[in-house]
Amino acid sequence: MTELLLLVQAAADTTGAYGHFPLIGARAAVWIAAEVHLMFAAFVLGVPMFAVITELIGIVGKDPKYDKLSKEFTRLLVFAYSATALWGAVLVFFLTTLYPRFWGHLTQIFGLSMWIYVGLFFAESFTLYLYYYGWDRWNAGRSKWFHWSLGVLLNVWGTIVMFIANGWLTYMMSPPEGATAQGLPPEVTMWGAIANATWMPINIHRLLGNAVFGGTVAAAYAAYRFLASKTPEERAHYDWMGYVGNFIAISVFIVLPFAGYWLGREIYAYDQSMGITMMGGFMSWLWVVQAVLIGVLFLAANYYLWIGMQRIPGAERFTPYTKWMLLVLVVCWIVWATPHTLIVTREEQAAMGGQFHPFLDVLGVMSAKNTAVNLMILTTFLSFLLYRRGNKRLTVEWARQGTMVQGAMFVIAAVVVVFFGIYGYFVPDTVRIGFSVYQVLSVLACIVGVTVVDLFLTRGAESKGEIRWGQMPERSQYALFILAVTFTWLMGLMGFARSGIRQHWHVWQVLPDTSPYASTPALGYAANMISLCVIVFLGLVAFIFWLGGLAERAFSKEQPAPGLSPQPAMGD
Amino acid sequence: MWATNAKIVALSLAVIGFYTLVAHIIPQLQSEVPAQVAVGPGASPEELAAAGERIYSTVCTACHGLGTRAPNLVTDHEGLGPIGARCLARFGDRCKDYLYHSLTAPGDSVVPGFANIMPDMRTQLDANQIWAVIAYLQSQGGEITVTSQDLESAPAQTAQPAAAAVLSATTDPRELLREKGCLGCHAIDGSGPPIGPPFDGIGSRLTREQIREGILNPNATVARGYEQFAGMMPPNFGDQLTAAQLEAIVNFLAGRR
Repeated sequence: MTELLLLVQAAADTTGAYGHFPLIGARAAVWIAAEVHLMFAAFVLGVPMFAVITELIGIVGKDPKYDKLSKEFTRLLVFAYSATALWGAVLVFFLTTLYPRFWGHLTQIFGLSMWIYVGLFFAESFTLYLYYYGWDRWNAGRSKWFHWSLGVLLNVWGTIVMFIANGWLTYMMSPPEGATAQGLPPEVTMWGAIANATWMPINIHRLLGNAVFGGTVAAAYAAYRFLASKTPEERAHYDWMGYVGNFIAISVFIVLPFAGYWLGREIYAYDQSMGITMMGGFMSWLWVVQAVLIGVLFLAANYYLWIGMQRIPGAERFTPYTKWMLLVLVVCWIVWATPHTLIVTREEQAAMGGQFHPFLDVLGVMSAKNTAVNLMILTTFLSFLLYRRGNKRLTVEWARQGTMVQGAMFVIAAVVVVFFGIYGYFVPDTVRIGFSVYQVLSVLACIVGVTVVDLFLTRGAESKGEIRWGQMPERSQYALFILAVTFTWLMGLMGFARSGIRQHWHVWQVLPDTSPYASTPALGYAANMISLCVIVFLGLVAFIFWLGGLAERAFSKEQPAPGLSPQPAMGD
Repeated sequence: MWATNAKIVALSLAVIGFYTLVAHIIPQLQSEVPAQVAVGPGASPEELAAAGERIYSTVCTACHGLGTRAPNLVTDHEGLGPIGARCLARFGDRCKDYLYHSLTAPGDSVVPGFANIMPDMRTQLDANQIWAVIAYLQSQGGEITVTSQDLESAPAQTAQPAAAAVLSATTDPRELLREKGCLGCHAIDGSGPPIGPPFDGIGSRLTREQIREGILNPNATVARGYEQFAGMMPPNFGDQLTAAQLEAIVNFLAGRR
């Protein structure tokens, strides 16, 4: 009887508010459209960042190889851009037909910004086409700088477009005070709704995330071309391209958790109950899955670097250290993935002597997890450092002292991280939360300090031999695929986390979801949806890249391609 | 190249499948929509409590379930029993008003040792859902005094907390102190919780003006030794008391030397 009354109530609330989508339902349809659109958008916003950087390196260093690499990145962009727009249109049509009341609420508040968005989208599209198709026309002297400025402009348009869209979605999470289902109060402007509590943290988090995502997908593309290459020159080029993509991805990935930490803090500051839902409520186990994924990312990235050291003359002297770094990574990964709150029966609870497991409880808390992830970051940075040092023989007089200083920085950072990790067990929650800041700062200080010392330390260093680009075992390239797939899946998971913490609200505590899909699904269902989105996205990317290859072959038949030769390493 | 393509596809699917599997083998927790209270006039206390339990289990247990972020309300606390028993012992027939106030102005009733993190539940639940939750909480060792009349006369979303809506005409200071919940935090006659300064001897510590100021603007000055409870006392007694009631309390407290 109660269920019948609920159905009657739901029907009364939802008349005209929701549409129906056959077979998979409205929520799944919008989920797929939004997620795949977002994945393409992340790619087309991330790739221009390093296309512009590598082009600049080519201009300043007068090295055409970087210019060619930049153009190749941009070529991927042109094809992916259409897919982004198509999926964006699908998303808008789905929202207008399946969630008309919610969409009406958003358009009522953000209508003006949507028109601006469309205008910027035109500007971005034309800039991209000018940038790509004008590559060979504006390739020397002042015109080259003009061309580079087009790339900068492309990034500016893209960033503004993303910031506007972020205003809409963060409004759904943290609407300004006084907002109701009827709209904004008179004293709150559209800008006030855009620049809400979580807007800037999401902006920064997505900027960094896009760079990582673009890097991993570009590296996977390079890996595919490496495996498909028929000449040593091609293998050398795509080996180098894969390395650059991975280098950018992992470099930015290291700072991504800090942006995530900021976002989390803002969510807590905006609404404690939303923060608790995210970290300790029904979503708490999502972070265990996230830990599994990020552990794979760390392991695959380090594995790729360690394998890559085999093609660097002199780097074999670092090989004995890799097993210890692997040990640190695996132990930290296990700690990070340890759950804290266990779902147990009364009997299990009685056997454990309480709600928490006597041993896992110690490892499952944030003190242990923060310590683990910071040590993983330090270890990965050490791998990068050893890779960079691989074929260098230091010639500065203070080489020994400089190296010892670098070692001391690592030790101090690790001691600080471990100290606050242990100390955190002996202080109240409110004090312990602040310790993560000290841990993060010590790791960041180590990364910056060691890098600065290394730049001076390796000045004038002798080479023990050129990097043998292309002489890379094929299994290393599969590590790049694992990175791309994992990061894509991770993006889908984090999208679910961000969206799911609103629970049964379209707009948090302003506009309730009264559709049949209002309850937020469990992780198993979410994982199915994420996997489906990842497969659709990667399938389309593969198709687009294949199309790009067809176009390249057609172009090659018309005019010979410029010669390919082994490339120097970034920063060498 | 077909072999390479097959390997890449197989690897990608294996990685995706692995993550999907991990997400499936962990506990499957779904966030349910708070139940609508589908009980009409004449609903029994048990029906109200049953509706409240459904809401409680979907909305409240994230914090109140473990007893680490917020007190566990459905288990014994310091030998005083679950929330229904504790509330009945402390507030008697005004228990439901106290619980309503706790749900709508939770910052006024933060339990020592826990942080002030609970939102005004009117932002998440409608009035009927709140009364249903109260009925459920009362059922935990206490007596359900919520009735279907409460549901029908439930204040609107923007209404003031119930404590403000139950003005009485009495000027008996002891009755007022009990009615306004003062004795929930302040000890008198040598007994009571030590959350606020005891009323015994307050006349020798404070002047009449300071006592009056302390009632009307309680957060302006925090008594030494009670800093950790700063901000707990409701700042709206000026709206709840008539001038005669206020003066009756001030005179009563000023006389307790």
